[in-house]
Amino acid sequence: MEVIEPKGHGQHAGMWVFPDASVMTEDVGEKTKAMPRPFTTALAVTGIFFVLGIVGFIARAVDDGFDDIAPWGYYMAIFSMVFMVTSGAPLVSLAFRFTKSHWRRPLSRVAELFSIVSILNLLMFIPLMFLLPDIANPEGVVEGELAVRKTIWFEGPIGAPHAWDLVGVLFLTITSMTILWISAKPDMAECRDTATGFRRWLYNFLAGNWYGTKRQWNAQKAGLALLGAFYFMILVFMHFVISSDYAQSLIPGWKDSIFPVIYTITSLQMSLGAILVVLFIMRRWGGYEGYIGKSTFWSASKVLLGVTLLWVYHLFAFFITFWYGRVEIEQNVIKYLITDTYAIIFLLNLIFSFALPFAVLLWNPVRRTAWGPALAGVLVLFGGLMFNIRIFVGSANAAPGSNLYRPFMEHIPAPVYPDVWDVFMVVGGLGAVIFLYLAATKLMPLISIWEMKEGTLYQKWGKFLRGEYLILGKPE
Amino acid sequence: MAKKPILGLFETADNAADAGDALKAAGVSPADYDFLTDTPYPEGAFGERPEPHKLYIFPFVGALIGLTVGIMLTSMTQMAYPLVQGGKPILSLPPMAVVTYESTMLTAIIFTIIGIIFESRLPAFKEGLYDTRITEGYIGVLVNVEESELTQTQTLLTQAGAIDVVLKAERISG
Amino acid sequence: MQEGKPLNSKQVNRELLVSILNSPKWFFGALSVLGFIVLVAMSTAGFMINQGFGVTGLNRPVMWGFFITNFVFWIGISHAGVMLSAILRLSKAEWRRPATRAAEILTVFSLMTAMTMPLIHTGRPWRTVYWIYTMPFVPFDYARGIWPNIRSPLVWDPSAVYTYLTSSILFVMVALIPDFAVLRDRTTGISHRIYGMLAMGWQGNARQWKLQIIAGVLLSALILPVFVSVHSIVSWDFGMAVSVKSWHSTIFAPYFVVGAVHSGVSAVALVLIILRYIYGWQNYIRHEHIDALARLLIVVATGWFYFFVMEVLFGFYGREADEIAVRNFQFMVSPWNIWMMIFVGITYFVPVAIWLSRSMRRNLWIMSLACILVNIGMWLERFLIIVPGLARKQLLTFDWYTYRPSSVEWIIIIGTFALVSMLMLTIARVVPLIPLYDIKEGEILRTEIKIGRVTVPAVFRED
Repeated sequence: MEVIEPKGHGQHAGMWVFPDASVMTEDVGEKTKAMPRPFTTALAVTGIFFVLGIVGFIARAVDDGFDDIAPWGYYMAIFSMVFMVTSGAPLVSLAFRFTKSHWRRPLSRVAELFSIVSILNLLMFIPLMFLLPDIANPEGVVEGELAVRKTIWFEGPIGAPHAWDLVGVLFLTITSMTILWISAKPDMAECRDTATGFRRWLYNFLAGNWYGTKRQWNAQKAGLALLGAFYFMILVFMHFVISSDYAQSLIPGWKDSIFPVIYTITSLQMSLGAILVVLFIMRRWGGYEGYIGKSTFWSASKVLLGVTLLWVYHLFAFFITFWYGRVEIEQNVIKYLITDTYAIIFLLNLIFSFALPFAVLLWNPVRRTAWGPALAGVLVLFGGLMFNIRIFVGSANAAPGSNLYRPFMEHIPAPVYPDVWDVFMVVGGLGAVIFLYLAATKLMPLISIWEMKEGTLYQKWGKFLRGEYLILGKPE
Repeated sequence: MAKKPILGLFETADNAADAGDALKAAGVSPADYDFLTDTPYPEGAFGERPEPHKLYIFPFVGALIGLTVGIMLTSMTQMAYPLVQGGKPILSLPPMAVVTYESTMLTAIIFTIIGIIFESRLPAFKEGLYDTRITEGYIGVLVNVEESELTQTQTLLTQAGAIDVVLKAERISG
Repeated sequence: MQEGKPLNSKQVNRELLVSILNSPKWFFGALSVLGFIVLVAMSTAGFMINQGFGVTGLNRPVMWGFFITNFVFWIGISHAGVMLSAILRLSKAEWRRPATRAAEILTVFSLMTAMTMPLIHTGRPWRTVYWIYTMPFVPFDYARGIWPNIRSPLVWDPSAVYTYLTSSILFVMVALIPDFAVLRDRTTGISHRIYGMLAMGWQGNARQWKLQIIAGVLLSALILPVFVSVHSIVSWDFGMAVSVKSWHSTIFAPYFVVGAVHSGVSAVALVLIILRYIYGWQNYIRHEHIDALARLLIVVATGWFYFFVMEVLFGFYGREADEIAVRNFQFMVSPWNIWMMIFVGITYFVPVAIWLSRSMRRNLWIMSLACILVNIGMWLERFLIIVPGLARKQLLTFDWYTYRPSSVEWIIIIGTFALVSMLMLTIARVVPLIPLYDIKEGEILRTEIKIGRVTVPAVFRED
């Protein structure tokens, strides 16, 4: 597609793009089919990482089995990272759609495609079910230990927590994929006639009955709104469950009401960061510069700045509350996760999740570029990895054996360093996400064609007196 | 020779923009004319000159001062009375962070306000050409020209659609 | 969506300045009634200071009751100003235009009112002179050579509240400059002189307007972090305390902030509906604005509810006997459990059910009712956090007690509501409660887009 010169004057030069609706389907369809060399190389490299991850997993399983959670700390960390990015991304899309902003249009599909990767969540979660220690003390009532360890499930109703957790993760995956399906239906319908092979079969299967009638559009809008609300609720619930079951409840005595909130915010921050990185790659190397104006980066980076500030605010709220009271268990938790055992990881977490992204995003001229927010995205992703390692490696190794059933963590454990299988699993997890995402981009268009076309109806460039400005219509 | 001001009042924004074009065509420098309105128009709507400013320096300077004062206040007060309280260290960083943060933000905001007023070239109580009809929705085009060109400019403004032309200065405020 | 009819500058000036340039008959009557209530409340506070705190319902261990609840409540209301003004300005929502000024002014007055609460709560308020310890006052006790203890949340509190108050006042004053210019041009005599001084010679040239717009955005961005910090610090008055169970929770900071936004935005919606009614501002405060506020409130209320559930759930999580005792008092003991049920119902379930219906969102009577319910509920929320925690303070069961407020406390609380209403009414005589230039800007930026046979309202955007 011929690139239309981006509009904007003065400091807003190049902010808005106005793609041509008439050639969009064909152009995006071609880009979806294309398999350029860098793409296949990336697919191959990440595929190799994926395989390494599986090797690491099998080696760990053979070495240590599934009886003790302690050796699986790094696996839990990478699961959590994958979970955070893939589960948070559709929420980013839904939230921006809810606010009816126009700049969000290029990023909706980019965000929703992460739901295909969320199948990985489900698969990675299954071993974690076996690893989670029982709520009831296997030794029964023992002096100095609790009969039932402290969890959000209290006395442990039937199936708790394993079955409930699995059902939750399953629902999350199914809901996010349903949202992707409903959202992508019009595009698949549009592309079904020009697609060939497997894509043609897939589009016919998923969108064979879509003809774009008024009734169908209304139903789609209502469906996305309802499912969006439902997804939001179930996502927040699952973040609460995973962060409690696999982190908080494994460190005896750690009672922290803000931790699920911090977990959710880190997830939002990371998924928004990942989306910005994908958008940058699309614009820079994918040929999508005619679809993604700098205004998308400018607006999304403000949200990322806000979420980054919220992150450090919640962290500080947690820290100062625990720090202030001089309660022994709270001091131990701080020493373990922040100041002593995992101090270096915490410092890296703080620098990469807050200090550096804040320094980058503070400057308006940087927020107006495409590389600035993408750089911030890379930084927060690394910071998120540090967060997950600190929390989940920490929780897996906090109270080995029967210490888990003691009321409080009495001794502060030493840090656990990764061995080669841990490294394989972490790298493999990251590779798997990228591999599956790349594969998904070949299944469905990476830009939401119908939303972009809708945008062309409501976004124009017009004259006002002696100046030219953006005109934004309000669809209602 | 000193430049004298002349103010043309226009009923619609289009007429005012026409006046701007006419002034530009007549060779009047963009630095010599201003558009006075009762509501903010988008930048460049009348074809007027861009207005560079250095407002962003003010919050940074203010924040730096606030940060320094905050750190000094919190650390010096704690060291002046080195009492261990509640088991907390003498130099307690988290409470220092809270108070320092507030003082940083306060000073940044105060300096920003000063900056806004300063960069707006306010207060400006001097005698100047103004008309109260501007706050009724009329648009003023204030031009500074040589005394010899006043009549010419008045004609230009009237031809562009000015409903009135003001030549005599009055104090803007009572 | 812009539903109203186009307005010109003269009409906007005439209609929005009606509260200042005209003297409605009911004004002095209303002011007298409110002033009388405030006077009674002040006398009662004087009586209380003279007689001692025995005239209140406060007693060991419930040392904090109505007054501190009220303090937190009014700090909460003050958060609406920044929420609406700053966040909506930054997100460039068109529907913020009539709401920002009233919200900002409500912020200033509710903050001032909130500060009177800890002042009278000291019992001997003249001694607070020793405590005036934050910018711009010098935090030093000259008589005894004592510095304030910055390790205490009770010292962080005034630093945050003064910062927020100063910032809000300055923000309002700067944003008022163009409107003072309009008033300067419309008045004579002493009013003209005063408005002229306040307008600082404003002409309305491009530079001045550009700086105004930047000021709005920059100050919004700077005040937002302050706004988050203020209520967090107020929450830490409770959160830092280890001795009172159910208070020492890490989630208090964001929980209180979201609760403040919830109550504050509801209060602003109520104020806007009242202003629309008493000044005839149907052209400016339209159903679409109240509709948008209600939809925002659904999100805020749901966020609040999430934090509430987290706070209660993690209260039970530790399964500590002393915490369970407090929760038992809150949820099982009458009448506290009844208040708890009422509070949850009227803070979340009833209002959100109302706000989910488009026709009810646009019915101003029902919206007013929903907003009043939210504010009663949020007042109850603070009460049910503070008092049960103290009534079951630790496991010293011999010290457990209850709390029954006296008439002195009721009168003073009612007095604060009258004070804020009186201040708002008075300020409406002096400054326009809807920003004139904001409305006018919305009018000139209006345009339309034709899509097929339909004409869609649109807006010109600079960025």
